[in-house]
This record gives sequence, C-alpha cells and structure tokens, in this order.
Amino acid sequence: MEHVIFQASDLAKERVRVLDAARAGRAVVRDKDGTGLVMLPESHLAVLEGYARWSQTLQRLNVLVAAERQVSVAELGDLAWLRVFDKDDQRAFSDELHEALIAGLSDEDLSAVDEVVADWKVTARQLEDPLRRSVLLGATDPDDFVEAHKPQG
Amino acid sequence: MSNSAYTPFGPARHPGGKPEAKPGYRVLVHKKFRNRWAEVVDRVGLQQAQQFWDHVAATPGQKSPIASITILKGKAGLPMADGWSRTHHYEISGAGRIDYQYHNEYAAGAVGDPHRVVAIMTISFGSH
Repeated sequence: MEHVIFQASDLAKERVRVLDAARAGRAVVRDKDGTGLVMLPESHLAVLEGYARWSQTLQRLNVLVAAERQVSVAELGDLAWLRVFDKDDQRAFSDELHEALIAGLSDEDLSAVDEVVADWKVTARQLEDPLRRSVLLGATDPDDFVEAHKPQG
Repeated sequence: MSNSAYTPFGPARHPGGKPEAKPGYRVLVHKKFRNRWAEVVDRVGLQQAQQFWDHVAATPGQKSPIASITILKGKAGLPMADGWSRTHHYEISGAGRIDYQYHNEYAAGAVGDPHRVVAIMTISFGSH
C-alpha cells in the first residue's frame, strides 16, 4: 500500500485526503520541523497498545516461569493471581497467551487475549479454596461420587 | 400450485410411534460437596437450581442461555479418567458456581451398562 506523506499545510488544504488515508490505515504528516506524525484508526491503536502491554507482561512471565525457584507474589505483580498454579500450568498460560497475541495482532482484534486471561482467572479463583482445590487437582475417582437428587421446592 | 387433493409425498410416520427421547444424564455429586448440594435451593433459589439441573441432565457441555460456562484451564480442567469431559464451570450470576464433568458411556464396574453421567465436582455459593 502506498503511503503518501502529507505536509502540515495539507491538514487544511487536503483535509479529506488526509482523513481518507487515516481511515485506510495511516496518514503520515510531516511537521515543519521534520517530525513525522501519524493518524490511524482508534481501534488499530488500541490493538497495538494492547499487544505492546501484553507482550511486555508475557516476557516478564516467561522469565519468572523459567526461574528454578518459587516466584514471590511481589515478583508476579499484576499477575499475582497466577500464584495458585504450578510451573506447568503457568507455562501453559504463557503459551496460550502467546498464541492469542499472535492471532490477535493478525486479526487486529485482541478479544481472544481477553478470553484466555478471563478463563485462566476463573480457574485461579476456583483453586483458591482448599476444598475445591483438593477435588479439582486431587486424584478424583468415579467412586468418590454419590447420587444427586433433583432440586425440589 | 395444483388444486388436486392428491399429494404424492408426505411425511412418513416413525415405525412403532414416536422415537424414544434419549435418556437424560444421571447426576452424581462428589461426597465432599454433598452437603452443599443439599442446600443448593436455599442458596441460589429453586428456579436457578432447577435450571442447572435441566442443563446437566439434558445438555451438559453445551452453551446455556442463562448461565456462563467456562472450561477450566490447566490441570484443574483435565478429565478425571478416560471418557470424561474436561471440567466445565457453570456460573449462576451472583449466586454460585458449580464445576462438573460428564461421560457419555460410563460403565460402573465390569458389569454396569454404559450410561450417561454427570459428576458434580465442586459447589460454591455467592459471587467471587
């Protein structure tokens, strides 16, 4: 795709062309001092910002997961909810997040990233309780179950 | 369109009458949560409790128009044995959460006939 570089004066004279270029992906405007300015769709910027934020988080997570020691809550920071998972599960989260980010950038839609994070957070909340944790992560056997009766008023 | 009363093609009747509906799922609850199952109506309300029952007894694993269902991630979502589904997390808005797995051909022991079973693994009340 051809990228036209507009001059600052074009913002007045070629307003429609500048806006059309921005709508189509990006409009580059060269200011009088030579600074390049870019106008692009808000949704595209949101994807780029989200991708940058999550990529940084993912990089930090990968370092923590690779550490041989137990990672502290302080080190996890905004990922402290991951403390209920063992290293294997933390690695699985990292892999899923990575795939969702790549797909999200390609699709220009990071909703898959939000879904991955939301699903893992739901799982983390279930594991916070020791009783639930013992069943969900323990060696559960079909013999551990008894008949449930239909709820009646 | 013809005005003739003669209609060469029409729906054929199922031999022997209506086909039998597929049997529903037998519902089991983990022993550690049987007390919570006993109080489920008091805690989430009869309607919500019955809606959950209808869901697991007929269509476990499928989307529900009235509840949010998530498949748990990592080891918490693994099937407890061969043939079991992953762990499904059924969330009753603001009232409670139930985790379950299901099996479409569960045979208890060597002599049991295969049948469809849902196993409720955990129950918790209130919002997160």
